[in-house]
Amino acid sequence: MDRALYIAMSGAKQNTLGVAAAANNLANVSTTGFRQDFEQARSMPVFGDFYPTRAYAMEERPASDFNPGTLVETGRDLDLSIDNQGWFAVQDDQGEEAYTRRGDLHVDALGRLINGEGKQMLGNGGPIVLPPFEKIEIAKDGTISIRASGDEPAVVADVGRLKLVSPDLTQMEKGTDGLFHMAGQQPGDAQPLDVAVQIVPGHLEHSNVNSVQALTNMLSLQRQYEMQVKMMKTVDENAQTTTSILDIQ
Amino acid sequence: MMNALWVSKTGLNAQDHGLSVISNNLANVATTGFKKDRAVFEDLIYQIQRQPGALSSQDSRLPSGLQLGTGVKVAGTQKIFTSGSLQETSQPLDLAINGRGFFQIAMPDGSISYTRDGTFHMDAEGQVVNASGFLLEPNITIPDQTNTLTISRDGIASVTLFGDTEPTEIGQIDVVDFINPAGLQAVGSNLFLETASSGAPQVGVASEGGFGSMEQGFLENSNVEVVEEMVQMITVQRAYEMNSKVVSSADQMLQYLAQNT
Repeated sequence: MDRALYIAMSGAKQNTLGVAAAANNLANVSTTGFRQDFEQARSMPVFGDFYPTRAYAMEERPASDFNPGTLVETGRDLDLSIDNQGWFAVQDDQGEEAYTRRGDLHVDALGRLINGEGKQMLGNGGPIVLPPFEKIEIAKDGTISIRASGDEPAVVADVGRLKLVSPDLTQMEKGTDGLFHMAGQQPGDAQPLDVAVQIVPGHLEHSNVNSVQALTNMLSLQRQYEMQVKMMKTVDENAQTTTSILDIQ
Repeated sequence: MMNALWVSKTGLNAQDHGLSVISNNLANVATTGFKKDRAVFEDLIYQIQRQPGALSSQDSRLPSGLQLGTGVKVAGTQKIFTSGSLQETSQPLDLAINGRGFFQIAMPDGSISYTRDGTFHMDAEGQVVNASGFLLEPNITIPDQTNTLTISRDGIASVTLFGDTEPTEIGQIDVVDFINPAGLQAVGSNLFLETASSGAPQVGVASEGGFGSMEQGFLENSNVEVVEEMVQMITVQRAYEMNSKVVSSADQMLQYLAQNT
């Protein structure tokens, strides 16, 4: 069979994966703190005991977009966003340190400070647990101060500091849980606190998905896909013509 | 079949939920003591189609793999317990808590529910009830012949009877608080129920120990902000349209394939 058919097929198949990636970005266009994923195709020559004559398409996700999203004012004390670059450290389901830009925090029944995804926020000395409070203030550097229930207005207690980090972005990758991890992270690894990271209290960071770009990208992939299918059809027609030459009249 | 179809379906679903939350907030823009909701979205799991670092030949590795996201989900709704503005009504049985705290309402089945809505009424026996006719807990009975009713900032109710000059104390309205008010379950009629995530109620006295003060003759307005909800609605609508565009594109791709092979 003509190998052109298989090359066109691989192109079409990889285009559907690309559309899925664009669809995921668009589906998360209003997820707080979401980072959009890039998508690209690579030409992949076939290696073997022969000269590489063909190159198949291969879809891949090279990285996520680390540009900050829009900050939206909410006025809630526990809605935080990070100014420009930096990350909140949270605990993932395996108990390891992971990073997120999501800062819609709340306090659960046990006093644990968790974000909108239910992930425990980490502080300087491990998970942050708060005593009952009447008013909470989170400073720009992540220091949490509370006025405990029943205390005088003048008594403000410092109860910890959010762990804000700024690891090397080239080493960060999105895991299957949607949180960011360091490449080659070993159990127990932790990033050092970076005092330069600033937070903006009372604001939430929206998804950084550029919806126009994601939609255009998806449409371009759609047309590419149609070209691949057209190629497959052309190859099929060629094969039919070849067969008809051999037809005994 | 097409991955993108299912992914965009989750997007449509999420925006649909988002719109119901917004419309409920807007519908309750004038509900006393109403606390607005916020839809909380989170991204679904990612599937590894190709592992980063896989071998691309005998001695070279792929610098990046392919991980595809599977869409978005509505993690839930979150009640936003910012306080609403206080509105003066001058009605003696209109109460507002200025700060943290809830009123307790005794339900007909004997359980207790909690509310920020302080629109109270008097029933035929002189008992203080809410708009649904459920008793305020602990209950206060206002005697006949009452001239004025005064409720102090710490919740002490006292009355002056006709002919008397000295006020008589008839009861104390307690307030309760929760460590995580956002974890309360809203059951409608402005009432909330305690859940495992809200924590146990802590009963206290208004104006003391971190509780807000009780203000007689005031009501707490809904904390919904119309402009904010309108902007949210525009965002939701456009996001919905873009996700449905993905559905139609994916459909066209399949159609093109079916017609051309």
